[in-house]
Formats: sequence, structure tokens, C-alpha cells
Amino acid sequence: MTDQWVKFSTFGDAELVSLTGEIDLANAPDIGKEIVKRVQSAGKVLIDLTTVSFLDSAGVRLLDALVGDLSDHGTPTRLVVGERGAARMTLQLCAFREDVLATDLDRAAADLSG
Amino acid sequence: MTQELRLPWDEDPDDLYEHAPCGYLTTLPDGTIVRVNQTFLTWTGYTRGELVGHRRFRDLLSSGGQIYHETHYAPLLRMQDEVHELAFDVVCADGRQLPTLVNSTLGRDEAKQPRAIRTMIFNATERRQYEKELLLARNIAEASERRVRVLQQIVADLSAAPTEAEVAEAVVRAPEAAFGAASSSIYLVDVERDQIVAVASTDPTTGNWDDMPRSSPRAVARVAERGDLHVVASITEAKEHFPDLVDSMRRSGRNTVVLLPLTTGPTDEQAGIVTLGVLAFSFKGEHKLSDGELRVVRLLGQQAGQALDRARLYDDVRRREERSQFLAETTGALDEVYRLQPRIRRLLDRLVPEVADWAEVRLQVGAVPIEEPKGSPAPDAELLQKRLGKVAASGEAIFSGEDDALDCSVLPLTARGLVLGTLALRMAPDRRDAAAERAFLSDLADRAALALENARLYEQERQIARTLQRSLLAGELPSGDNRFAVETFYQAAAQDLEVGGDWYDAFLINPDKLAVVVGDVVGRGIDAATTMGQLRSAVRALATNGDGPARLIEGLDRFCERVEPARMATVAYAEIDLVTGEIAYCCAGHLPPLLQEPAGSPEFLMHARSAPIGSRAGNTSRTEHRRRLPAGSRMLLYTDGLIERRSRSIDKGFEILAREYARRRDAPLQGLAAGLADTLVGKDHADDVCMLCLTLGTEERIERTIGADRMQIALLRADLRAWLVAHGVGPEGRDAVLLACSEAVANAIEHGYRDDPFGMIDVVATVTEDAVEVRVTDRGTWRGPLSDVSRGRGLQLIRESMDQVLFDRSDGTTVTMRRRRGEDDE
Repeated sequence: MTDQWVKFSTFGDAELVSLTGEIDLANAPDIGKEIVKRVQSAGKVLIDLTTVSFLDSAGVRLLDALVGDLSDHGTPTRLVVGERGAARMTLQLCAFREDVLATDLDRAAADLSG
Repeated sequence: MTQELRLPWDEDPDDLYEHAPCGYLTTLPDGTIVRVNQTFLTWTGYTRGELVGHRRFRDLLSSGGQIYHETHYAPLLRMQDEVHELAFDVVCADGRQLPTLVNSTLGRDEAKQPRAIRTMIFNATERRQYEKELLLARNIAEASERRVRVLQQIVADLSAAPTEAEVAEAVVRAPEAAFGAASSSIYLVDVERDQIVAVASTDPTTGNWDDMPRSSPRAVARVAERGDLHVVASITEAKEHFPDLVDSMRRSGRNTVVLLPLTTGPTDEQAGIVTLGVLAFSFKGEHKLSDGELRVVRLLGQQAGQALDRARLYDDVRRREERSQFLAETTGALDEVYRLQPRIRRLLDRLVPEVADWAEVRLQVGAVPIEEPKGSPAPDAELLQKRLGKVAASGEAIFSGEDDALDCSVLPLTARGLVLGTLALRMAPDRRDAAAERAFLSDLADRAALALENARLYEQERQIARTLQRSLLAGELPSGDNRFAVETFYQAAAQDLEVGGDWYDAFLINPDKLAVVVGDVVGRGIDAATTMGQLRSAVRALATNGDGPARLIEGLDRFCERVEPARMATVAYAEIDLVTGEIAYCCAGHLPPLLQEPAGSPEFLMHARSAPIGSRAGNTSRTEHRRRLPAGSRMLLYTDGLIERRSRSIDKGFEILAREYARRRDAPLQGLAAGLADTLVGKDHADDVCMLCLTLGTEERIERTIGADRMQIALLRADLRAWLVAHGVGPEGRDAVLLACSEAVANAIEHGYRDDPFGMIDVVATVTEDAVEVRVTDRGTWRGPLSDVSRGRGLQLIRESMDQVLFDRSDGTTVTMRRRRGEDDE
């Protein structure tokens, strides 16, 4: 169902969640469930938003809840968003926590290990 | 004293009276004894003094006798002056009762008043005994007659019972009716499974009511083996011979158990006798069966045995008939569906639950292995896997038998000498086990394998055709030019037996000229798909000549002289000048394109019509028609699957299409064709549906109406994005406007139409030199303040991404948003 928007893999020792395409009110809840299922037991989580072409407030709500839950569990988490683009714009407009944002995967992974 | 000499018959009257061979009593009318002879005294043990003057006759009678004296003796005597042979029991001095017969006469005086009663009493001890024996004999005769009647009834029932179950039902009722047994049970011998099966009982709570192997040491199994009648007359006997009976006899208070084998075969020789079952019945208390009863019991065993034998033969015949009917019906049912998956499902539907309670087909051929189970519970996966592997490797079936942990039979599905896969099944509990159904199951698997192999071959060919068609249809369509947009749709027939010949194409002839075409090739399957590909290439090649639609169709007419299968194909072809907006089109036997200009009603393009490609009898003088289309026009090319229905005329189809098309004039282009197909044909349609929708020019103002459905936001965004690109709005501004517009629509859905899934949302966007303005309107009712955090964030995003935001809540909600154009705009 949500395969076209979300894919799972690992990057180093972190669980990598790659989102792509348009994330909005219509698909965010299902994508959220799928991610929660996968990262529950992960030690570290990277969420890659670099190929997300649209992100609305429902997507922000999803990321907010996800990051919140993971930090409550003490799971280090980073969101990877490009220097510019739709996802970066929306997150910035919402004043999303800058400390969990990174601009590329390697830097985010290094952040988590450090 | 002189010795008086008397002749032997010259008796002394006194002596005669005293010692007569019967008792004499003389009583007063009230019964008081006044005179009694010695004989009576001797019989009863009274003394004369005890009786005379002290007792009445009735005082000497048993209590029953006293009542009889009252009701019969006294009234009769008074009326008739005499009574004869009345039976009374006289109570003797020692309490013993003496059966007697009594005659009395009533003597009267001159005034006819009762004076005295003379009573003569006969000792009837012997006679009573005799009577009792007579009665007993009669009772025995009656019981025997009753037994015979019951037996006759049972024999009649048996001859009418066509199945084992009905025979068992009739037999199990016999012992109670015929012999007064307390309860009875019947067990049948199942030779194939080597089991003795408990089938019926009048009281299943007594006894050990379980099936048992024929070799069991239990009494029923022993008697079945020996084949002769056993009467266990007491618990002691049971202890000695059949200890397994003791417990249940004690518990249910039975003291006698009869175990009767139900046998068939010649009655005179022991050797030929076959035991088909055992009837067990029991009595409360020790019950001695008479020889007569035992004879009848044995007879019952033979009668029941013969009836069972007959029923078994009948059952066999019927089962064979049922099986061959089942197999024939299954083959027929499988032939009704062509494709592999439906055929597998059909097979499983036939098997579960009628034959098996769980079944599974696995096929190892083809790209993707198929595994289709049905029924429950699923058996142990690991054991099953092992057995499946064995059968697949050997090609030999494994039937589940006694004590099979897996309890599943696995049969190879073999066709043309190749093991395609396996059929695994667990027999339904009411069916005989798999070992007994060996022949039937093997036959079934063979037929299924052939049917599935045919479906697989068919599937393979279909897959090739489908792949070919897909690869032809999936070619790159031109896009990224803001002067036009193309949307296509293809839906295969629901019960698609074969691939159809519907196709579409769109390509740029030169940078300013677009060609669109939709066609339909005669026939189906691989041939149709191939022809379609050739025709499509021919259209592309001919179009580069730049001679226009009419010459192109003439070219196709020539083409089918060489490619015969293309004959009678239909084509709707149009060329669009992207600079002037002029369109030239031609329809060769194809349905007319449907045009929707920004203003007005949709219109079918009915000009430039001629016969199908290569038609010999039709009008093949090809013409073309030209007209200018204003920006924002939409044109739909389609195949007949969209409008043709058996249930309605084609005119009606055109009418509905035009209406639905008009209704969607403001709907986003993306998803438009799918929406039309959904409304016009639904999912269950008999024909392929193919559509191509073309939008021309850039609208100055984009107006869209969408339903309150979150899925539609993405479609709206696609249109809006293309429109923004066409107007040179830069990426940053585009993202901002799209975000604000999405949030405003999401607000309308989540708040305005929270309780109304059918609400409609209007979106109007305009662009000027220095700003983009978007207006989102709904007619819903907003509930309460916007305290909801999530929606609050949406509003925040709208405010942050746009320069000006106005809310008007006078009638529904209208959000008007404006953003200045940025530096990156073109």
C-alpha cells in the first residue's frame, strides 16, 4: 500500500527510512504506521526526505510524533533534508527542531555515532 | 352291644357329614357359623368351639375375599338363594391361605324369610396351581408372539433401509421392544480401516462408546472376531471373560449383557460367516434369556447382518456413482474458467468442504510459484513441507492413514509426464479416510492436473500478449510542454480471456505539432497485440510525412494490403498545431472524439468520418476536418468498451458519456479518464477500455472543483503545479503556493466537511505579473475555534507561505491567499 512512498534499509548500524514523492493528508497516516512498525526496535534511525517532492502539515505531524516518540525511547534520530526543496521549506516554516535535521546522509550518520 | 353290619355304601349320615370329601358349614343369615363338619376343621386347623357361635363365614376370608363376599357372594345369594363355584381364599388357623371353591344355598321359612345358609367348600389348591400355570403359559406365548411381531417389524424396516446408517438405526431399537432390554448399541466393522465403529446407541452414556481397532481386546471386538452370540449373565461372568465390561456394567446398573454378532453368509457352515457388526444390549438385574428368546436373538443377528450386507453393496454402488458424478462435475466446473488462479480456486471450492476440510494446491511452474490453500485449520507447516517435497520428487501420492501426525494426503499434479505441483488435502471428518478413497483422489488429481496445465499454458500465452501490449502502450508520451497535457487510461476486460486490440499513442511530429491516436484492432490475443504494434509504428512513420490525417489514413489502407490482420482496424487520429491551436482530425470507422471547450457543452466531432482501415465495402475516401480550439479545451479519444453495453443502446452510451464528461469539466486532468471509466463501465466489464484525454493551451485562470476526499488533493496539486510551471512561477513560489493550497483544501475536508463526505471544494487560481492568487471555497460548517493543534499548524503554514491570507466565513469558508512572485520566476 505505502511501498511507493516509503522504503526501508540500513545505513551503517542505523535503520534507514527513505521517503519519496508527495507526503500529504491522504497517505501520511498509513506511512506513519508502516514506519512505527519497522523502527520500534531500532537502535538508531535515519529518515531520508531528500526525494520528497511535497510535504504538508499532516507529514510534519507524522515526523513530529515519530521524532518525539523515538527521543522518548532514547533512540537517536536524524531527518535528512536537502539544502532546499519542498520538505525543507515546510519543516522550516513549521520551525521544526533544527538539531534533528541534517543535509546529507553521511553527516547524519556521523552525528548519530558521535 | 350288637355290632350292626352295614353294607359299604350304606353309610352313616353323621359320619358322611363329618368326613365328607368337602367342608360343610351351616350359618345363620348373618353368616354366624352354627354348624361345621370335621373335614373343614381338619383343612383349616380350627376347633369346632372356635368357630361355632363365634365367627361368621366372612371372618374366615382373606381381606380380598371379604370384599368379594360383600359385593358378590351375599347379594347373589340373597337374590338367587344359591351361588356356585365362587373362589375364596380361607385363612386357616395358622395364617396359611387355603384356595377354595364355595357353593351355598339359602334356606327360607314359610314366610319366605331367610332361615339358614348351607355352604359346601371344595379344596381348590390343585386347581389354582393349574390355573396359574395356564396363565404363565399364556404369558409366555404372548411374549413370544410380541417378540415375533417386533422382529417382523424390524425385518420389514431392515428391508426398507437402504444405507448402513439406517440399518443400524432400525436394529438398535430392537432389543428394547423385543426383549425388554434397558439399552442397546450397535457397532459396525470397517474392514478397510480395520476398525470397529460405534454408530448408534439408545443410550450412549452407558458403556464404552468409542471406536476400536478390530484387534482390540474389548468384548465387542472379541465377539466380532469369534462371530457367535455371547451372553454375559452377571458381573462375575464379565470379570472372568470380558473385564472391560465390568466398569460400565457397575456404573449403569446392568447385570446382563448380550453381545450379538451381526453376520452374513451361509447359516449352516461356520467357515463362510462374515461378521459385519455387533449389537450389544443389556438388562437391569440378572436377566435369564429363554431358549426361545435366544433363538430370536440369533435370528435378529442374521437378519441384521444380511441387511447390512445389502446396504454395504448399495452404499458402494452409490458412492461410486457419487464419485464419478463429482469428478464429472468438477471437470465441468474447471472448464468454465480459463485462467489459472480462478481455476485453482474453483478446484478448491469443489473440494472444501465437500470432500476435505482443508486443501491446498501448489504449483512450481512459471515465474512465481503458486500456493493457494482453503479451509481450516492449516496442518503443521513443517511436516507438510516434508511430505510435499517427497511427493514432488517421487511423483507418487502419499495417502494419510491411521496415526498419521500430519493427517494430510498429498497427491502429485502430473500432466504430460511432468509434475506441475501438488494437491494436499485433509479429508472432511464425515468422509471415509484418504486411504479408502485412494482411487477417487488419484482420479481427481489427474483431472485437476490436466485442467491446471491447460490453464497454465493459456496463462502463459496471455502473459506474453499482455507484456507485448503493455510494452507497446507504455512508450514515453510527450510531456513537459506547457502548451498541452495528455492523460491516458487502459483497463483490460474483467473476465479478460485474451488481450484486446485497443491502443493509444501520442507523439510530437515536430516541435510544434502533436499527434494523438486511439485505435482498435480486430481480434484478440498475441495476434491482435502484434498487429497493434505494427499499426502504431505505421502511424508514427506516416505522420512524419506531414501530409495530414486524411493522407495518413490512406497510407494505412495501403499498409494493410501487406499486413492483412490490420484490415478493418478502426482509428481516430488528430494532429494539433500547438502554435495556432488548430486541430485536424479523421475517423476511420472509429467512435467520434468528444470535445469540451472552456465554455459550452461537450460536443462529438462528427466530421471526416469514413470506413475502417482497408475496408472493401465501406467508404474509404478519406477526408479530414479542421477547426481551432481555444486554450483550455479538452478532447477525449476512446474505444467502444467505454460506452457499449449490451443492456443499452449506443445513443444512450454517447449521452451518458457526454453528461459525465461535462460534469467533470473542472476536475483535474489527472485521474479524469479513470473516473470516467469507473462511472461508465465499473470494474465488472466485458471489454477492454482505452482512453486518451488531451488538454490544450494554458488557462489564464485555473478553476477546479474536487470532492471532499483527501485522495483528490494530490490530483489537484498535479494540475496546479503544471499550471504554475506553464506561467513561469519559480520552484520556491510553486512549492509555497502548492503547500498553502493543499492545507486550505485539507482544512475544508477536515473541518468544513467533517460530517459531509459529498461536499465539493472550489479552487480558483489566477496569476498576474506580480502575484499568484488562490481562492479555496467550501460550503461546509466549521465547528468551534481552531484550537486543534494539527490544523493550527496547517493554518500557520498557509500564513507563513503566503503574503496575504483572508478568511471569509459568511457562507461556508473562502480562503483567499496571495503570494508575490519572486526573483526566481521567469
